[in-house]
Formats: sequence, structure tokens, C-alpha cells
Amino acid sequence: MPSESADRIAVLQGTLDLIVLRTVQTMGPLHAYAIAMRLQQLSNDLLRLNQGTLYPALVRLEQQGHIKGAWGKTDSNREAKFYSITRAGEKALAEETLRWRRMSGLVDKLISEGA
Amino acid sequence: MRRFLSRLANLFRSRTAERELAREIQSHLAMLQEEFERRGSSPEQAKQAARRAYGGVEQAKELHREARSFIWIEHLIKDVRFGARSLLRTPGFTLVAVTALAVGIGADTAIFSVVSSVLLRPLAYKDPDRLVTLLHHGTGPVATANYIDWRDQCRSFEAMGAADYWSPNLTNAHPSDSNPTEHLYGLKVTRNLLPLLGVEPLLGRLFVPGEDQVGSDHEVILSYRLWLRRFNRDTNLLGKSVTLDGEPYTVVGVMPPSFHFAPFWATHAELWVPDAFGDSIHDRGGNHLRVFARLKAGVTLAQARAEVATITSRLEKQYPATNRWVSVTPLKENVVGKIERPLLLLLGAVGFVLLIACANVAHMLLARTSDRRKEIAVRTAMGAGRPRMIAQFLTENLLLAAIGAFMGLLLALAGTKTLVALSPEYIPHVETLAIDHYVLLFLLAVTVLTALVFGLAPAMHAAAGNLSDALKEGSRGDSDGIRRNRLRSFLVASEFALAFVLLIGAGLMIRSFFVLQSVDPGFNPHNVLSMVVSVAGTTEAEPNRRAIFYRHLLQKVRTLPGVNSAGAINHLPLAGDMWDRAFEIEGRPKPRPGEGPDAVYRIVMPGYFQTMQLPLRRGRAITDGDDARAPGVVVINERAAREYWPGEDPVGKRIAIDEEKSSQPTWLTVTGVVANAKQMDWASAPYPEIYIAALQTPAFLGEGGTKLAVHMTYITLVVRGDGNPADLASAVKQTVWSFDRNLAISEVSTMERVIAEANAQPRFEMLLLGLFGAVALLLAAVGIYGVMSYSVSRRTREIGIRIALGANRADVLRMVGLQAIGQALAGMAAGVAGAVLVSKLMARMLYGVQPTDPATFAGVAVVLGLATLLAAFVPARRATRIEPMTALRNE
Repeated sequence: MPSESADRIAVLQGTLDLIVLRTVQTMGPLHAYAIAMRLQQLSNDLLRLNQGTLYPALVRLEQQGHIKGAWGKTDSNREAKFYSITRAGEKALAEETLRWRRMSGLVDKLISEGA
Repeated sequence: MRRFLSRLANLFRSRTAERELAREIQSHLAMLQEEFERRGSSPEQAKQAARRAYGGVEQAKELHREARSFIWIEHLIKDVRFGARSLLRTPGFTLVAVTALAVGIGADTAIFSVVSSVLLRPLAYKDPDRLVTLLHHGTGPVATANYIDWRDQCRSFEAMGAADYWSPNLTNAHPSDSNPTEHLYGLKVTRNLLPLLGVEPLLGRLFVPGEDQVGSDHEVILSYRLWLRRFNRDTNLLGKSVTLDGEPYTVVGVMPPSFHFAPFWATHAELWVPDAFGDSIHDRGGNHLRVFARLKAGVTLAQARAEVATITSRLEKQYPATNRWVSVTPLKENVVGKIERPLLLLLGAVGFVLLIACANVAHMLLARTSDRRKEIAVRTAMGAGRPRMIAQFLTENLLLAAIGAFMGLLLALAGTKTLVALSPEYIPHVETLAIDHYVLLFLLAVTVLTALVFGLAPAMHAAAGNLSDALKEGSRGDSDGIRRNRLRSFLVASEFALAFVLLIGAGLMIRSFFVLQSVDPGFNPHNVLSMVVSVAGTTEAEPNRRAIFYRHLLQKVRTLPGVNSAGAINHLPLAGDMWDRAFEIEGRPKPRPGEGPDAVYRIVMPGYFQTMQLPLRRGRAITDGDDARAPGVVVINERAAREYWPGEDPVGKRIAIDEEKSSQPTWLTVTGVVANAKQMDWASAPYPEIYIAALQTPAFLGEGGTKLAVHMTYITLVVRGDGNPADLASAVKQTVWSFDRNLAISEVSTMERVIAEANAQPRFEMLLLGLFGAVALLLAAVGIYGVMSYSVSRRTREIGIRIALGANRADVLRMVGLQAIGQALAGMAAGVAGAVLVSKLMARMLYGVQPTDPATFAGVAVVLGLATLLAAFVPARRATRIEPMTALRNE
């Protein structure tokens, strides 16, 4: 749930798409609200995220064909747009994850070993 | 790619997408709210909390739109609509801004269209950049035998051809043509000259081998203009014959309308005939040919120059005193060399005008954005990002610039027409001047650049405004940021700097022009009529008849009412050709070839000096008594006297100017010395000059059948009257035609006009620079007026307080005035530096004025200073009228 914690970090530029894609992959079809909740939960509220900022990421991913949106009903019988990952999305996720790992590994190495 | 298409598609279904987005956000917010309610918040609190967690709904929507579609296009359309509305709301501002921009852009476009057609594409030939000329000193003619040597020996050129000036009389052009005999301008050309230009004839063909041989050289190719004017575009003309100088010539071709040759000399040529050199193939002294060549592919100009230098220096050893100073020049340089710099300077000048206009519009926009801060704040609050706001302002500015550009284009269309009408003949190719796609591209680029230049700074400022400050501040007027004031001062100062530079340029041209105007031509040009009378092709051209005819003609003209005197000369000063010849002085050692004295020579009829009022310094003039039976005489100018008889009296000395090498020189006695008259151009110092008596040179008059006979196939009649010389023209013409209706009369003019034409280029440059300078001055004054009145209106409260606290009107006036003067001085300081640089570039365009002429600099400073005071006075006075109570109550 939203809290007023002071140590929250902003989403690193360009990583939001990757995170959203991964979330949709592991959790199955999700609506934007659920994605936002899931992100906050996973990050122990460390991730500072105006939930509205998810929308550009969603529309980008949808336009790239990595996710697909469809209207449906929630458990509480409210209508919402559910996003699920596509095959192209799976492929892109694998590639992006690999790239991210390399990148973060490199950054990690550079930071800890002092270059 | 897929995303691109999808974004493109979204552009056209933005409403659907928008609805769906709203639905999605709605459901999201509802779920958030439910969550908060489950945690025990009241519905109202939960709703608030949900909104906070979600972030700005409008901002999210905006971000979504950006990602979803090519949002900028959607924005653009909206912005254009919004911009148009906002411009219409402030018609005063729009009108002033558009006018300033229209003037700037219009002047730029008009001058660019000249530059584009004259400098960028001056030659309508095939591969014009490969064309060169081979001329003495880059401009002077060369002798036939030398040309033939170069043609045969040079390997750097694909082809080399030559042209000679020829002005025949055309009689009975066409059955339907009832015009009198016309004196035409044409060229005699070698057979390969026209083909080397790479222009195909419109009709018929170019010359073929064999047509440049003596006896078979009577073919002619017509210009389109002549074909239209005299032959009514008769397509059956090919193969028919026309009469030129009384001889039949077969028409073999007609050139297309765009064809002009030669481009830098004999520019009026309307027909071309083959040049059969005849005897002149051995002539190395008579320079009358212009040589043109096309560089071979792969040969550079430097290589060609090196080869020509080698060949001419070898020839010079073989034939001393010939082949000197021959230079290979790109044809384009011959054509535009003299006007390239003035035109580029004019382009620079209009660029300055445009910059000043931009500065004006920029600070008008600054003032406007100050007034619009609330609107901006509200829009920012509604989710418009900073880039978005800048884009909105830039669109509005672009719209403003586009309207300005459109008006400017209309101005330019009118302007180019005026330019063509005003432009002296020296501007080559000016008749092809048009607003074409090059010019339109330029216009587009200038418009966009203009919008950026005048709009970027105000837009950034506008968008940078602090949101809550602006909203809180409301309409309080005196809170202008220091940064904005500084920008505004900078704009005014740069306007002054630019205007200063421009006015210095204009001032120098004006000064130089007045110096030129005060130059003494040596003769008195007022009340003198001149016209060329040509006998070629008529019975008067026959040997032994020319002298009698010319003499009778003068006698008859002198008896006309209103005529005081009449005379004649072969080439009128400042208008005609200039011939140069070596001569020999009696009693001095015979000089080696090419090293003896030489002088310009002109052939005169009695009455010439009297009619021109060319003062006689010593001795006597040439009179009717100096005819073929009397001993030969000449008159020289003062320069020749000083040059060749320093410290002596030349009168009574004898000289010989024989053309043919004869063992027995024909001695001519110097009988008089006259003042120096202007020769080829107005600004040059005079050369030594010799006047020969026409009636004593039978060779020139066609007697004896030498080739010199062509020299006097025409004369220039000069007639001095009491009143307006142009009124005499028809009576003089009738007198000429009373001898023979077939005599051709051309170039009817007054000496005053001849002089005006000789000064056409500096006058043209002065007029345009003066005009641009005046516009710059006006714009700069409007600029300082605008800034001052704005600043006074913003400081109403401050000034009110000052007055309330005891400041008197004079203090207020001084305070406001000092601000204006400070800005003007800062601008002028920068302007002086710029003007020194720019005026150095102008040095070659100036006559009798130093580029750093102190009087001009001081004068311009005074004029600009006065303009500043005038522009600042009105707002400053308004400031002194401020009533403290009203000013304070206003808040």
C-alpha cells in the first residue's frame, strides 16, 4: 500500500517496460491497478511510482506487440483492461533480461571493485 | 515499425483511444479507492488518497497520449488553432509584428532572388563552370594571330573560339516590316564558338565548317528577340536572306529565348555571323578579339593557366611585345566579378534588417508573455509540460513568421519588379530574375530560422515561469524578473548595433556617391543631345561620300532652331568603346615595339570640343579648315601633354600614329591641348588621349579601300541646344533622314543620361543601402519606443512612489531617458566595432571616402542618438505625467 517512506527510489529510466513485462509474464493477465499493486508489494514499497506513469509503458508495450490488452471483469465484478504477455513479448523479455543482467553485473562490478 | 504504424493509426482515432483511456483510468481509480475504503478511510478520504496514489490524472493522460500517438502532430494542429486565436485576440501586436517581419523577410527574399539568378546561376550554357576566357588583363581583347597560336598550341581546352564586335545596319528585314533601317549589335564569331557553349538553336543550325571562309561567310544566326521583333517569328525565314550593311546574309538559325551571348561585353548582341579572319590572321597588334574556351574534362584551371603562361611566354620571345598579360579567367568571374561583392553586401544588409525586425518582435513577445503568465500557469497546472509549452509558443511564433513570410513574399514580388526596373544594365542576367523554387526554399528556411530567432528566448522564458508565483501574483505589474529585463536590454542594444553597422554602410555609399557626383567630367554635359548615325549599307557609305555627308549633316543640324552648336566623334566618352594605339614622337629615337608612347585615340569632326564645352588649354581646336588638303593636325589632352612633353609646350610638335608599317611616317602636328575628359568609366583617372581630325583621315572614311574603312561607318552626333536637349531629338533625326531614309539612328540620349548610366551601379547600391538603412533606423526606433513604453507602464507604481516622495518631473525624465541612452550607447559601441569590419569589406565599392570616414561615423551616431531620444521621449513624458495617487490606487 502507498506509504510515506522517505527512502523510495524512482524507477530507473527505461526499466519500467522490463519490469511491467516480467510482472505480466509471471502473474498472468493483469489490469493496471494490479500491476501497480504487485510492483509495490514486490519492492516493499521502495519503488516510488505514481500509478499513472504505468500507462505510457503499457501503451508502448502494447504497440510493440509485447502485451495484449482485453477488457474483462475483476473478482469484484468491476470492468478493467487485462494485459497478457504475447509470444513476441516472451522473446523480448528474454533478450531484455539478459541485457539487463549483463549491464547490472557490469555496473555492480565497477562499483564494488572501484574500477 | 509496428509501433510506428500503430501510432500513425492512433492519430486518426484519437477520440476512441481517449475514451478507452478514460475508462481504464476510471476503473483504476475506483479500485484504488475501494482499497483505501477497505482500510477504513471514509469514502471522501479514500477518493483523495486514490488520486494522490495515482498521481496527476491529466499528466498521466498526457504521457499516455505521447506514447500512444505522434502526439506532436495532434498538438501541432491544436497549437495552430490556438495560436491563430491568440494572435487574433491581439490584433495590434499581430499587425506590428507581421509588418516588421514582412519587411525583413520581403527584403531578404527580393535580394536573394537577385543573388540566386545573378550569382548562383549566371550562365545559361552547358557546364558553365568549365568555360573560361583568355583576355589581356582578364578583360581586354587580343589580336587574331595570337588567338590562332593559342588555339593551335593549347592542349588544356576542349575547344577555343573567338568573337569580335560587329554592329551592322539591318534594312528591309521582312516584307511585313516597315521599320526604318536599324543599327543592330552583333558578334562575328569563329565557327566553333557557339557549339562550345553547348546551346542548341531553337530553329535551324549553328555554323558548319567552311562558313568561316572569306567569300562564304554570309550566314547569320538570329537571337529570339530579333526574330520576334523584326521577323514576326516567321518560321519560313530559314534559308532566306536578310540585308546587313547592304549585303545579303542567309539566315541559318534562330537561338532560344534564354540564349544571351556574350555575357559580359557586347551584351546586346542580337545576331551572330561567322568571322572570316582574312588578312588579320597575321595581325599581332590590333587587339579586338575576345577569346572563349572550354576546359577539357579533368583539366583544372590552374593547369590551364600554367600551360597558357608557358605558351604565351614562348610566343613573346618569338614576337616581342605581344602575348603579354594574357590571363585565363573563369567566364563566371568576367560576368559577375564586379557585382559579386556589392550583391553579397546587400544580402548581408537585408539580413541585418531581418535581424533587427526579429529583435523587435522578440521583445514584443516578451512583453506579451509577461501579460500571459496567468494563462501559462493555468495551462501548466492542467498538465502541459515545459517542452509542450515551448512547442506551443514556437508554433504560435511560426504562425506569426509564416504570415509575415507570406506578406513578405508579396512585397518581394513587387520588390523584384522594382529591382529589375531600377537595376542598371551592369547586372547580368537580371531579366531572368524570378521567384522560383530556389527562392521559395530560401524563404522557407528564412521563415523557420526567423521564428526560432525571435521566438525561442521568449518561449523559454514564458515556459520557465514559476507556477505558484504567477498564480499568486495575479496582475501585479511591477514584478518583472531581472533576467527578462536584461534580455530586453540586450535585444535593444543589438538592434542598435545592427542598425549602426547598416547605417554606416549606407552612409559611406551616400558619401561616396556624392563625391562621385561632384567629379568634373571635363566637359559640360548639360543641354547636350547625342545619337549614333550609321551609314553602313547606304550610298553614303561609299568611299569619297562619307566625308561630304558627315560635313553636310553637321552644317544642316547647326542651322536647326534651338541648336547652338553641333559636332561629332566616333566614340562618345563614357558610352562608347575606347581604342588605344602606340604612336611616335618626331625627333625622338624610334621606340622598340610595345615600349613607345601610347594613348587613347578618338576621331572627331569640327565643332566637337565647342559643343561638349571641353575647355581648350592651349593652341586651337580642330576646325572645318582642317580637311584633307590641309596639313594633318591632332589635339591632345592635358594628361598626354604632361606625360609625353613634361615641361615643354606640345603645341607645334609632331607625332605619327600610322597603323600600317610604312617607311615614311605621316606627321601630324599638335595644334591644341584640351582638358581631360572622362573616358571609359567615371571613377578612373584619365589616360593620355589624342583627338584625330576625321576629315584628314581618308583611310577611316573608306577611301583607299583599307580595312580601316569600318572605323567611320558610324559617328556619334553631339548637339548643344538652349533648353532640354531631348526636345531637339526629333528635329535632328528628321534632318538625318532628309539625306537618306535608310540611315540608321540609334542610342539617342542626352549627355546627362550617359553620365547617369555611367554612375548607375554606385547609384543603385546607394539607393538600396540607403533604403535598408532607413528601414533599420525606423525598426530600431520602434524597438526602443516599444521597450521604453513597456518599461514605463511596468514601473508606473515605482515612479508614482518616487513622485510622491518628492522626485520632480525632471528627475523622472532623466531616469527614464538615461535608461534609453544607456541601451543605445551599449549598442552603438558594439556597432562601431562591427562597422569598422564591414566597411573594410566595402573599401572597393567606395570612391573618395575612407572606409573609416570619421564624418560618416559621427553622423550616424548623431542620427541614431536623435532617433533614440525621439523614441524615448514619448514614454518618458508619459512617465512624468504619472499622478502618484492614481498610480498607487491602480494596484
